[in-house]
Amino acid sequence: MWRSGGLLGRRIEWDVVVDDQPDADQWYVLINELPWGECSTTNTTPDRYTYGIRCEPHEAVIPEQQLTGPWRELVDRVRDASERPGTAKQTQGTTIDDQNG
Amino acid sequence: MPPFLLARIATLEDPRFTRAAHAAQRSLTAFIPDHLDHGRSEHAMLPRLLHQNETGVRGMINRAISDAQGVETLPGVLVRAEGDAETGDASVSEAYDGLGSTFALFWEVFARDSINDRAAPLEATVHYGKHYDNAFWDGRRMVFGDGDGEIFDGFTRSLSVIGHELAHGVTEFTAGLVYRDESGALNEHVSDVFGALVEQYRRGQSAADASWLIGEGIFTDQVEGNALRSLKAPGTAYDDDVLGKDPQPDHLDDYIETLDDNGGVHLNSGIPNRAFWSVADTLGGNAWERAGQIWYDTLTGTSLTPRSDFAEFAAATVETAVARYGSNSPEHEAVIGGWTLVGITTAG
Repeated sequence: MWRSGGLLGRRIEWDVVVDDQPDADQWYVLINELPWGECSTTNTTPDRYTYGIRCEPHEAVIPEQQLTGPWRELVDRVRDASERPGTAKQTQGTTIDDQNG
Repeated sequence: MPPFLLARIATLEDPRFTRAAHAAQRSLTAFIPDHLDHGRSEHAMLPRLLHQNETGVRGMINRAISDAQGVETLPGVLVRAEGDAETGDASVSEAYDGLGSTFALFWEVFARDSINDRAAPLEATVHYGKHYDNAFWDGRRMVFGDGDGEIFDGFTRSLSVIGHELAHGVTEFTAGLVYRDESGALNEHVSDVFGALVEQYRRGQSAADASWLIGEGIFTDQVEGNALRSLKAPGTAYDDDVLGKDPQPDHLDDYIETLDDNGGVHLNSGIPNRAFWSVADTLGGNAWERAGQIWYDTLTGTSLTPRSDFAEFAAATVETAVARYGSNSPEHEAVIGGWTLVGITTAG
């Protein structure tokens, strides 16, 4: 998952290995019920964040203000998991080249 | 008489000044400079937010600060309306005072009556979300998080950030620059320019004395950096182990192509930002007086379109400099020089 935009325009990435999570079954239930493909892909509200979520074979780009319901739950799960050692990681200050690579 | 003085006289309730107050009210009602009306009739977003105050008197600020109480729901609970006493909450006071300083710049310097020039109330929400590390303009109000405590402290403590957010509203009601790629970077640029000018005007700082920083003081002590951005020296605002180095370019040759951040709107704004600083630095004195006037005229004039790019914006500033100060004037030359510095050639 990544987040870009905001007042600073900075990108942050979070990586989670779902199979390593203690509640992996619940992760898969959540991922499978998400409305992939039904998201807006642009955020035209000044200084707001945009989130990108990739979980093969799915991918979605979502304006922060549309993160409701299961999308919000997934984002919160990813961020919480990144704060636990060993099963996820957060990368800040990613370079521009890395972003587009 | 300057409109801000008229506005103050117009609100006098002392019976000794009844006649003066009425005269000032009449003058204010009639006072709509021609340059403020350019293009307005064509703006698609005009029909909303046009709650002119009941008296019809221009230049009357009307602030409303709400508290989201730690959740991401807007607008939150109204905690301070115009004229109310302080609540004891620093974020509320900073937002209230910051909106006042921003209103003062636009009204006292540019005779603009709030974001829409039609006395729209200035609304803000503080304490948005839990550890929310951002501030934004949602099309109706300014919204401020408290910061995560690791990188960002509260966002209301920076007057330039408050001015930046409110300026997004001004852009929305004027040029309507589309928030993507070059027009989006110009949208950001305009907010940085007026954010910096709000702070300089409040402090009475000349172009030479000003920091030209946006967001000074909102990083925690753990961050190696002074601010979010520098108009004077883009790319130098911070250099931190966690945040990385300020990525802003200061020349068109270094324009960043990216899909992130709506096409790098917060990154490539460094290019026009440095051009504006150069114009103000070359002219000297107070940046809001001549450089700021040219940029304000450009923003509210008829030359820009929602999709204007850097070259079109630069040409528009040259055009407005000539219109206000004359061809081959110091202001005209300074504007050409500013854009040349960052690699943008104007016809002159």
